Amino acid sequence: MPAKLVVEGLSHHYPDEYTGEDVHALDRVSLSVEDGEFSAVVGPSGCGKTTLLNILAGLLPHTEGSVQVDGKEVGGPGPDRGVVFQEHAILPWRTVARNIGHGLEIQGVARSEREQRVQEFVDLVGLSGFEDRYPHELSGGMKQRCALARTLCANPVVMLMDEPFAAVDAQTRITLQEELNRIAIATKKTILFITHNVDEAAFLGDRCFIFSRRPGKLKATVKINVPREKRIWKDLLSEKAYTDPRDEILRLVREEVFDDEE
Amino acid sequence: MTRSSEAAPVKKPPSRQWRRFVRGGGIELMLLIAGILVLWSVISENIPNPSRYLPSPVSVVLSSYDVIWKGLLPNYIGQTLWRLVIGSAIGLLLGIPFGIALGLNRTVSDMFYPIMNFFQSISGIAILPIIVVWWGNSEKTVFVVILYTCFFPIAFNVLTGVRSTPMILVNALRTLGASRLRIVKDVLIPSAMPHIATGARLGIGYAWRAVIAGEMLAGRRGLGWMIFTSQDADLTAQVILGMVMIGVIWIMIDRFALRPIEADTIQRWGLVQR
Repeated sequence: MPAKLVVEGLSHHYPDEYTGEDVHALDRVSLSVEDGEFSAVVGPSGCGKTTLLNILAGLLPHTEGSVQVDGKEVGGPGPDRGVVFQEHAILPWRTVARNIGHGLEIQGVARSEREQRVQEFVDLVGLSGFEDRYPHELSGGMKQRCALARTLCANPVVMLMDEPFAAVDAQTRITLQEELNRIAIATKKTILFITHNVDEAAFLGDRCFIFSRRPGKLKATVKINVPREKRIWKDLLSEKAYTDPRDEILRLVREEVFDDEE
Repeated sequence: MTRSSEAAPVKKPPSRQWRRFVRGGGIELMLLIAGILVLWSVISENIPNPSRYLPSPVSVVLSSYDVIWKGLLPNYIGQTLWRLVIGSAIGLLLGIPFGIALGLNRTVSDMFYPIMNFFQSISGIAILPIIVVWWGNSEKTVFVVILYTCFFPIAFNVLTGVRSTPMILVNALRTLGASRLRIVKDVLIPSAMPHIATGARLGIGYAWRAVIAGEMLAGRRGLGWMIFTSQDADLTAQVILGMVMIGVIWIMIDRFALRPIEADTIQRWGLVQR
């Protein structure tokens, strides 16, 4: 399968906001995500995960290395890379439907086609009946569904997700993880999902990229050999094909965390 | 019970407006106003030459026969309101785009921020003398003062609104492929809307004071002019009438035009908790 997202020798430095000291955030990171693959980036906090995502999204210029989407070098932000942020970044003054259709509006898609596509994604993320509500009328989980639908509806080549479920409660989080898995299968999207939660990474990812603490380096890659269709929390917890790589990832991440404390 | 047929007529339940009036402290307010009027009358009865120093409320109304019944007062009010509307409309038309333009660029907005704050603090009354030096006692002077007075609070608030737009919303739109113009239209302006509404309300409030001050020194007709010329003519009752009208009209503008607009923009988007 061809790789949709290719990162090669990516390094990033920036001056600290307060001290002015040079921060080495990413160190020669190379990875690739194949067409339709769900990849998860997991690592301790401060390992440069969010920096990586911002560079991939084009929101942050990188100092060294290359980032290619569909064979094209990434400059600034663009609609080929959709982003779902940690805090739902939907617009409070737009209804659910108008938020979801925003990407299409920007692309200049005609109204009738837009409405049809919006409805499709409203249904896909389970927001039917809430099309005309404003974000402040929605729960945290629903806001994040809306943000997810907005990104999907714009039909990006690669979808980047930055700890999108970090701000919701544990129950909602489990539901959203299963929902995201279902939606990813249905849309066949190529996804790079960033998280510090090992269970989440192993549950969602075809492959997990484990990062070291700062300067963030790709430390290991772990494959999860459970078909995505079979990923349901209640079945998975006793499945060796899930628990073994999960434990392996946990061990790898812990090394980084405990090193830090010594 | 058998006697119910001859019971007292059914008491009409109080209307919604009445209940809202009562719950909003309307009765207390009415009592307070009545108290002030009584106190005013008592003072007026007990001072020498009240018609010059403090005519009673009743004699304010009676001795202003000319202005009230000959149609001069509505004429003056109309003149003053006309100046306010035109002046502040121009202020809004210039101030809003100016504030947005400054807010677009961090460096430019950092540079202008203190300057805007500076001019915002110099009231219209403080610049009136120099405007009179430049343009004399003309209609132009009155408009320039109104315009100046409302422009800066409006532009300053709009600038603050644009600057306080959450960066994550801008970034979200950038990743959807939005152009700069699109970001201004879809994110910055709506996000600054509550600040724009507040700025407009403040600006128009300052303009209301400025138009009265402006009419005293320049221009013809209007409430400010009426107060000033009435004082010259020793018509204290008309001076007081003018003052009361200024306050009453402002409360009506604020209550029925400005506040609803501000509350609507802020509440509709859930930017504050209801």
